[in-house]
Amino acid sequence: MLVIRNLTKQFYQRNDTVTVVDNLSLHIKKGQVFGLIGPNGAGKTTTVKLVAGLLFPDKGNITIAGQPAGSLEAKRKIGFMNENPQFYYHLKAREVLEFVADLFEIDKKVATKKIDVLLREVGLKDAKEIPVRKFSKGMHQRLAFAVAQINNPSLLLLDEPLDGLDPLGRLDFKQMILKLKSAGATIFFSSHILSDVEEICDEVAILHRGKIILQGAPKALVKSSKQSLEELFVRSIRHEA
Amino acid sequence: MRPKVLWAITLNTFRETLRDKLLYSLVGFAVLVIAASLLAGSVSLGQDARVIQDFSLTAMLVFLLIITYFIGTQLVFKEVERKTIYLVLSKPVSRETFYLGKFLGLCLTILVAGLIMATMFVAVLAIKTHQVPVAAYFAVGAVILEAWLLTAVSLLFSSFTSPLSSAIYTFGVTLIGHGSATIWLLSQKASPVVRGILEGVYYVFPNLEKFNLRNDVVFNLAPDITQVVWILLYFVGYTAFLLILGMSAFRKDEF
Repeated sequence: MLVIRNLTKQFYQRNDTVTVVDNLSLHIKKGQVFGLIGPNGAGKTTTVKLVAGLLFPDKGNITIAGQPAGSLEAKRKIGFMNENPQFYYHLKAREVLEFVADLFEIDKKVATKKIDVLLREVGLKDAKEIPVRKFSKGMHQRLAFAVAQINNPSLLLLDEPLDGLDPLGRLDFKQMILKLKSAGATIFFSSHILSDVEEICDEVAILHRGKIILQGAPKALVKSSKQSLEELFVRSIRHEA
Repeated sequence: MRPKVLWAITLNTFRETLRDKLLYSLVGFAVLVIAASLLAGSVSLGQDARVIQDFSLTAMLVFLLIITYFIGTQLVFKEVERKTIYLVLSKPVSRETFYLGKFLGLCLTILVAGLIMATMFVAVLAIKTHQVPVAAYFAVGAVILEAWLLTAVSLLFSSFTSPLSSAIYTFGVTLIGHGSATIWLLSQKASPVVRGILEGVYYVFPNLEKFNLRNDVVFNLAPDITQVVWILLYFVGYTAFLLILGMSAFRKDEF
């Protein structure tokens, strides 16, 4: 479903070049839930943005269901939720979804039904006529999760979806992701909340300074190292540092 | 470029700009200034129609350009700053469609603002003189075309610089564009090197005086069809050139 080959991304600052993603390769199979974990500045968001086509790779390539990332064909297949999602202040929750449905050229009748279902699923049914500028952070996250699913994506890209949510919100979100997982969705998400990743993912990769330093199924990693994922994470990062 | 997607972005931009309080202040103030031309006309010793026409059309141009400077230069910047650009560009929307949609959205806003101001202008003229020359409608159209062209200029600058710099540069282009005739005259009297530079400026920058039909209205001269076609062709050609340049720059931007 998602193939990343030798991906490198550098950012240029005055007299310096910073390699944020360094020769990264990943292969995410259909129906797999893959978690990219790492400390702040590890390159998680950059990787997700490269897959979403918001950034362009300096080296390497990314394909989504055989289509190059960034192409309109690839974008049709993905649902993207960025970190700290923001929406147009003048729109209501329902209008945001209608606008995005228009961007996917979804038929009005089909879109209306889908929007109702999604708003109910993310718990915003009663808030659909409220302008998003009045939304809390949790409501923004929920709306972003609905937006990411409007096109029935083959691949769901979630950048720090649980970040900043209260315990209740996190629980709701985990349940929604697990529901999609049981329905066979392919999900690629970044996070630094290890307990959530351990619970949700089939496979995880620890990213540090743009490189993968450890990869595998969370249960297998924990079993082989006889440590919790958190201990393993801290040890791996400190070892690399 | 898919029309449904382009229209969705255009309409969203239009609705977004309509929420800008600055727009209402500017349109309201412009309407007041045009209404005030009644007073100016009444103290002008029989030249009231001429004063109303000149005063109102200039006020329209100035206020539409202020809308362009302050809203046009912020259009893409706000999307990036508020991260709403992720909502659009992660969807099957080409950068070109996004850029053109932002341009057309503001053009729609300028059209609506221009029509509100024009309604006031026509009403004032009709109240005072009981007649509205055909040339007045052409002049209003030319003012709106000029504002649209400068919207393309402001959008081009805003694709690689800050809103403030972009507003200053667009203002500079406006000044040069209205001084085209003077620049040409100066070039003909200058040394060969200076002449080359001035002629370069004359040909590269838009000649905004082509859109100035205010004198035609004042002297009640309806523009002939050739002049109208030439203005339209100049607008389409120059605006298309600016949009293509802007899209090329925007295509490489990362967010």
